[in-house]
Amino acid sequence: MAQSFPYTYYSCDCYDSKAATVAAKRASAQLQPEEDEEGRTFDPRNPRSNYSLYPLEHLLYCQDCQQVRCPRCVIEETLNWFCPSCLFEVPSSVVKSDGNRCTRNCYNCPVCTSPMNVSSLEDPNDPSTSGGPWILSCPYCRWSTLETRIEFEKHTAITAQLSRIANGGKPILTAKERDKDREKRMEQDKRKSRDILSGSEDSPTGDQQKSDEVPSHDELFSNLAAFYKSQLAAQTPSNPFSPHDINFSSPSSFSRIMNLYSTTTSKKQKREKPTPMRETASTLEGLTIHDPSTDAAAIERIRKDGWSSTLSPTQKLAQPNPNIRFSSELRPVAALLCTKRGKRCRNCRHILSKPESKITSTRYKIKLLALNHIPRLSLRALEPPAAPGTPAPPPFDYSALKSGIPQHFVLQLANPLFDPIRVTLATPSTTPGKVQSRVTILCPQFEVGANTDVWDDALSSSVSPVKSGGASSSIEAGKIWDRGRNWTSVVIEVVPGFLRDLLAKEGEGEELDEDEDVLEIPVFVRLQWEADVNAEERGLGDSMGKKGEREKREEAFWTVVGVGRIVRL
Amino acid sequence: MSRPSGRKAPPKGEYIETDSGNKVSRRSAITGTANITLGGRTVIMADVHLRGDLHPTRSTTSTTTSSSSKDVTPTSISIGRCTVISTGSTIKPPSRISRGAVHYYPMKIGDNVFVGPNCTISAISISSHVHVGANTIIHPFAIIKENVKILPNSVIPANMVIPSGSVVGGRPARVVGEVGEGWGVSGGGASGGLGVGGGGEKAWVEGGDLRELVRSIK
Repeated sequence: MAQSFPYTYYSCDCYDSKAATVAAKRASAQLQPEEDEEGRTFDPRNPRSNYSLYPLEHLLYCQDCQQVRCPRCVIEETLNWFCPSCLFEVPSSVVKSDGNRCTRNCYNCPVCTSPMNVSSLEDPNDPSTSGGPWILSCPYCRWSTLETRIEFEKHTAITAQLSRIANGGKPILTAKERDKDREKRMEQDKRKSRDILSGSEDSPTGDQQKSDEVPSHDELFSNLAAFYKSQLAAQTPSNPFSPHDINFSSPSSFSRIMNLYSTTTSKKQKREKPTPMRETASTLEGLTIHDPSTDAAAIERIRKDGWSSTLSPTQKLAQPNPNIRFSSELRPVAALLCTKRGKRCRNCRHILSKPESKITSTRYKIKLLALNHIPRLSLRALEPPAAPGTPAPPPFDYSALKSGIPQHFVLQLANPLFDPIRVTLATPSTTPGKVQSRVTILCPQFEVGANTDVWDDALSSSVSPVKSGGASSSIEAGKIWDRGRNWTSVVIEVVPGFLRDLLAKEGEGEELDEDEDVLEIPVFVRLQWEADVNAEERGLGDSMGKKGEREKREEAFWTVVGVGRIVRL
Repeated sequence: MSRPSGRKAPPKGEYIETDSGNKVSRRSAITGTANITLGGRTVIMADVHLRGDLHPTRSTTSTTTSSSSKDVTPTSISIGRCTVISTGSTIKPPSRISRGAVHYYPMKIGDNVFVGPNCTISAISISSHVHVGANTIIHPFAIIKENVKILPNSVIPANMVIPSGSVVGGRPARVVGEVGEGWGVSGGGASGGLGVGGGGEKAWVEGGDLRELVRSIK
């Protein structure tokens, strides 16, 4: 998700810590061969980095592992399913039987994916009792089921009605009716073949007509399914362990019992290969023979109606039957269900976040955020103060950094912990990537106050020196810019690199990759602080640790600060 | 995007502040003020158009005289607390044509909602902690639940329901992701630092408590 400048991404090293050797090997191949894992700097442009950088809001914190947990190193468990459109919860049994789609009236437009409305086609001069007929219509692109000639009698239970109407308004048989129909026609076919054998030629023409039609996707599937079911049943007539199938008169169970007791025959029997299954032989068994005339018809249709009658790949793939070609074959797409999920730490399986199971509730039972354990880094351009009397200068344009002109930024660290922390920042002197910008942190080591009560800040004015303005504090190496109750800010000097130099060097043909002109600074953050042993490990440390015992803690991670975009001069 | 232009530029006296802390720009266009309720500490920026004159008509048609309809003023737009409507946005209650007559329906916007610049909004309801990016169009009768982020330049089709905690974008908009667990949580340490020359970036986060932002608008 693109964020506006300036942004800060936090790197979770969950992958690298597991496969550190692999990562080091790969990194050394790209950078210098001598560089080891410790000396390696983080490259935000490395393709692998894409998957380890997250905004702070997306990170969780495992208190037992004392580590940041990103979406890659948590286990998700689904609490419940719900339809995003009607916000009804769908029980998991229904999800298993009916699939992960809403079975109410929630449909998306097959053309533009917008949710569809049920609207009435009632003639005001001739009102009907039900208010119908009804159609599904898209409020965004104006596609409606009228274009495929589908109308509904009721405005409720659209799914049930839609499953009974084919495009063009013809009824679709239900699965049971289909089975019955298939059996009936099989019977007829048998009789017919018997008739042919016996010599009489008066086959019913109506049935012949029906079988000439190309069967629908669903029909074919059910035919095939029925065929293979019957084949399987013929192959293994009874499940050997199902209790109601024990039938001593059946030859198969008899042979099975025989096999149980006679060792010699069983070996022989096992080696025997099962007879190969018969393939489908007729339309009723699910056989489809490709008819070249359908291709000719399709070509003719494209010639007549043009490309507008065909579908785009995304439209096709969203359809229940992705093999369709024409817009007249489109069906409204039922809304996909959403889930509410809890998250656990992949290492210690502790719950990191658990939302309330009610769909309408947005609260969490458990939510361990990295926000509350890791300082927030934020960057801001340091603007020269406006002289009194003159109008305020326009706000700093982060998407137009000027190459070669040093620009000062203020990097602020806000501490969410209840103990003061000691911070060490580090950054490579030139940013990785083709456009090399020079970066200097003027004060890489400093302390950040504890996150105490807000009122402490207000009451003790001596802690936070009130500045008359940004200009009065000088930009000096080794000195912090400003500090408050639980935050400290330092100045970073950035000299954005040149885009043109690079172009000249590499020749005219070489173009910059996408986003190569974005200035991103990798910053390594190391924190040290003393924390109460008991404060975080409730219960565990109680018996052993004395009260007030403090231990040293340390945390280190990479962040990437996106400063802005360098413009071409 | 998150810092709409024109917030700092106008001279003092740009906003009229009400007793409940609402800040309404002198350059905003508000029609039908009697039908609009602001929850308090809400900011209406310059060139914002609130169409309070498009109020539900059903209640007034039942009461024939204008004097009796006065004590039951129909609300057309109700906006919660600490909500910010940025420059150039239009808030227009959704309407529906029924039996040949246009009927307007009251719309509701929750607390801590940020509406970016140049949006057109006709949703029937926007819940709390919603962030609407710039140049977004929300068509009539859309329902937007809590903790939703709408990316800039999106078009929300009519009647769409956006479940809570989702990120939507595109034309037409579809759900493209989820906001993280930390959505709207400003973190223990984010407060402070704004106003005095030295602070870092904004002291408010998207979807979070917008009180700091409201306070900073002068």
